[in-house]
Amino acid sequence: MLQVLLSGLAIGAVYGLVAMGFAIAFYVTRVINFAQGQLLMVAVMVTAAIARTGASPVLAIVCGILAAGAVGVLTYLVAVRPVLAFDRFSFAWLVSTLGVALILENLAAIIWGPTSRSFPTLLSGTSVHVGGATLTLQEVVTIAVAIVLAVAFEVVRKRTLFGKLGMAIAYDPEMARAIGANTTLFAIVAFAAAGVFAGVAGVLIGPITYSNPYLGDTYGIAGFVALMIGGTERPVAAMVGGLLLGVLGEGANRLINTQASDWFPFVVVVVILLLMPEGLFSIGGRLSGLLRGATRPREAAS
Amino acid sequence: MRAAGLIDSEPAVAGSAARSLPWRPSAYLAGLAGYVALTYWFAHGSLYLQGLILVAAVFGILAISLDLVAGMTGLYSLGHAGLFALGAYTTTLLYNDHHWSLWALLPVSIVEVGLVGLVLGALSLRVSGLYFAITTFVFTLVLTVVASDFAFTGGYGGLIGPIFPGFPGGLSWLGQSLIWCCMAGLLVAIAIALGLRNSPFYPVLLAIRDAEPFAAAAGARTALVKISVFGLSAAMAGAAGWIFAFQGIVSPGQFNWAVSVNILVMVILGGMNTTLGPVLGAAFVTMFPAQVNINPFWQEVLFGSLFVLVIVAFPAGAVGLVRMLLRALVGRVRPSASAPRVAVPPAADVSVERPPAAPARAAGTAAVPAVRCRDVVFAYTKGTRVLNGVDFVVEQGTIHGLIGPNGSGKSTLVDLIAGRLRPQAGTIEIDGTPLEHAGPAARARNGFMRTFQAAVLVRELPALDNVLVGLYSRVPRVALRAPVWPVLPGARRDARRMHAAALDSLSFVGARAWARNRVADVPHGVEQLTQLAAACASGPRTLVLDEPLAGLSPSEVEHAAELLSELKRSGVSVVLIEHQPRFVFALCDAVTVLDAGVVVASGPAAEVRENERVRKVYLGQ
Repeated sequence: MLQVLLSGLAIGAVYGLVAMGFAIAFYVTRVINFAQGQLLMVAVMVTAAIARTGASPVLAIVCGILAAGAVGVLTYLVAVRPVLAFDRFSFAWLVSTLGVALILENLAAIIWGPTSRSFPTLLSGTSVHVGGATLTLQEVVTIAVAIVLAVAFEVVRKRTLFGKLGMAIAYDPEMARAIGANTTLFAIVAFAAAGVFAGVAGVLIGPITYSNPYLGDTYGIAGFVALMIGGTERPVAAMVGGLLLGVLGEGANRLINTQASDWFPFVVVVVILLLMPEGLFSIGGRLSGLLRGATRPREAAS
Repeated sequence: MRAAGLIDSEPAVAGSAARSLPWRPSAYLAGLAGYVALTYWFAHGSLYLQGLILVAAVFGILAISLDLVAGMTGLYSLGHAGLFALGAYTTTLLYNDHHWSLWALLPVSIVEVGLVGLVLGALSLRVSGLYFAITTFVFTLVLTVVASDFAFTGGYGGLIGPIFPGFPGGLSWLGQSLIWCCMAGLLVAIAIALGLRNSPFYPVLLAIRDAEPFAAAAGARTALVKISVFGLSAAMAGAAGWIFAFQGIVSPGQFNWAVSVNILVMVILGGMNTTLGPVLGAAFVTMFPAQVNINPFWQEVLFGSLFVLVIVAFPAGAVGLVRMLLRALVGRVRPSASAPRVAVPPAADVSVERPPAAPARAAGTAAVPAVRCRDVVFAYTKGTRVLNGVDFVVEQGTIHGLIGPNGSGKSTLVDLIAGRLRPQAGTIEIDGTPLEHAGPAARARNGFMRTFQAAVLVRELPALDNVLVGLYSRVPRVALRAPVWPVLPGARRDARRMHAAALDSLSFVGARAWARNRVADVPHGVEQLTQLAAACASGPRTLVLDEPLAGLSPSEVEHAAELLSELKRSGVSVVLIEHQPRFVFALCDAVTVLDAGVVVASGPAAEVRENERVRKVYLGQ
């Protein structure tokens, strides 16, 4: 059971990073970037390509992550900003970001070929024993990195002026602009961060999946499902959604059959959408709302 | 401030005259003949051409069905690939495994997928438009997973579909029967879209999309309408799935989420909320890969670039682009001399053209007040009461002013009376009927209408069509009849009557000259008058006007005052929320003053005016 939990957390951390990328971009711009999964793929492909030239794997990884961030920004400038400029409330970005996903996926297939190729491994086969379970070092690092990034994001969001301005923009972009916030800059930063999160997820999963131009589809959808589980309103909730999805998928594989993780997450997401349309953690919000509501009328009555 | 030049500016003549043109059966017949000839030609074409046409026609149906929800009601469904798959798989599975008749399977697919659409719509429209897109997206994902991972659907390889029966011997000169079938399907889809778009229900749909409170106040049950339109759209997708099953193999790859987006691209590319746009978009997107024979990867890149380019550069689509060009051309020819000037109609004319008020209640109940609120309590968030035990009575046939400083709760009280909000405590009766738990739609049917402080109208439609929305509660079953509107016997008569009533109402408020102008192009004063005309068109017994004089020029205010007196003369009870005390005390029979959520004074206008507290709190004397 512990093995299922830990292996699930490791793969869930990757889903969670992709989901957080979705959520960060959505948080500031109210846009779901459907090319998010492809950003992961970009990081994997660039890293692999640079490593093949004989450069240091660390340099390759850094370049890969930066490339994902850069492509994220490019996506915003080319496919999102003009749409929002035309009509802030339109959903036309559904189509344009999907167009970007198609472009990225097929360009990668053209440049590096449509088949799987090697990916540099930094942490070779050391295993770590936790209780009765065994994890690879790679898996341990994955979980650790995901947690550190999620906490770091939360600290920036809540404790810095920059993060607070971001919250203001998320709440009411017009008002935030009126007090002088540069909403475009924040959107660019958000898309860059979303790309970096996806890129980190990519280099963490790369040693297992190898480099393949179609990685974006798989992890994009998994990240999206994680986002749905966590709810779109808080980026950290998306990370939790990812971890939960990972554990549930592993559990389903173990308990139902080895292919169950292909469909089991969808069952989860359907149940969540039906019962808690605003994500699993909206229920916490509702609870605290009830608590607050219970205390307030008394003040008013006096 | 916008200059409200009701008197001194002229209406522009452009505007969407096309929609209001009377139907020309000959044009439709000619179009139909051309369509049949084209189908005949396709049915005798090469197999290659037929393959292209089959796919294009099926996706044409899908694109039209998606445009009904995306274009007309503003709901971006990503579930159409899933609905489409459901139709195709149902047909294939029931035919292969249970040997159902193909002809029975068509209605089965339509009803089944339609019902699934209704359920999906009801579940997913609870939260927001984005949630709708997401839920329908997940629906498609789930169906793809079921299709690929389960044995009964044949897994990734899919299933071999049924073969479409050929024409019987005598009709074999018609050529390939499947071509006739899918072209007929496409024709039905076009006819449904055309019917809806030319029915008086169309302005109501757009009002639900762009100005939901207005549609609700006119009596439309907006949530039900949205769900029903999605159900209709799903049923069409089910029919498309039935046709698609005959093309050979039915496999999960043909229905994945990217297909949902492809359909949306077809709609946007061709032009949202146009009848032919989606068909053109579908033809282009399906035929493009077959025609441009390049490396498949480059082709996909090209496709992706096309998605982005279309969205970024031509958000209005191909048909929208053509329309914009046409409008630019037509707009230049501007018969300024003949443009009618709007003048305040003399009072004598007004009474003649006013639509007859709905018959007042039976004489015995004359004593029942038009509106009676008792001890109404309301709070937006728990704790802070916006209204704290308000009693408010409007006698039949009077103009009742509701005044109070900003934040006193006037608009909240109006929203409660109009059913947009529900009180936490207290009762609200309209014409003696307790309605505190009913929504706006029930009120409209009871002869209650309202206007909004900031006019909410469909800006892309002419003023006349906006007034048609106000008649919604007066035309029986207009929503049900809309999809087949042109072929219904009583429809033309009803449409004529509605047009006449709407024009009468516009004449009554003195804005008839603006009837054909899009609301986006009219001055502020005319917008207010259009709102008033929409509220008056159905002949309401009770009318609530939320700051109808705000932003009007002095002459317009005088005109509006005249209208109010006229409404009162014809027996309508009016509640008037207003800030300008001058008009309130001159016009109103009775006045209620609100302050901080409680009634400060209420009674005959003269009495309230002399009230010490009112002078202090409100009049600043």
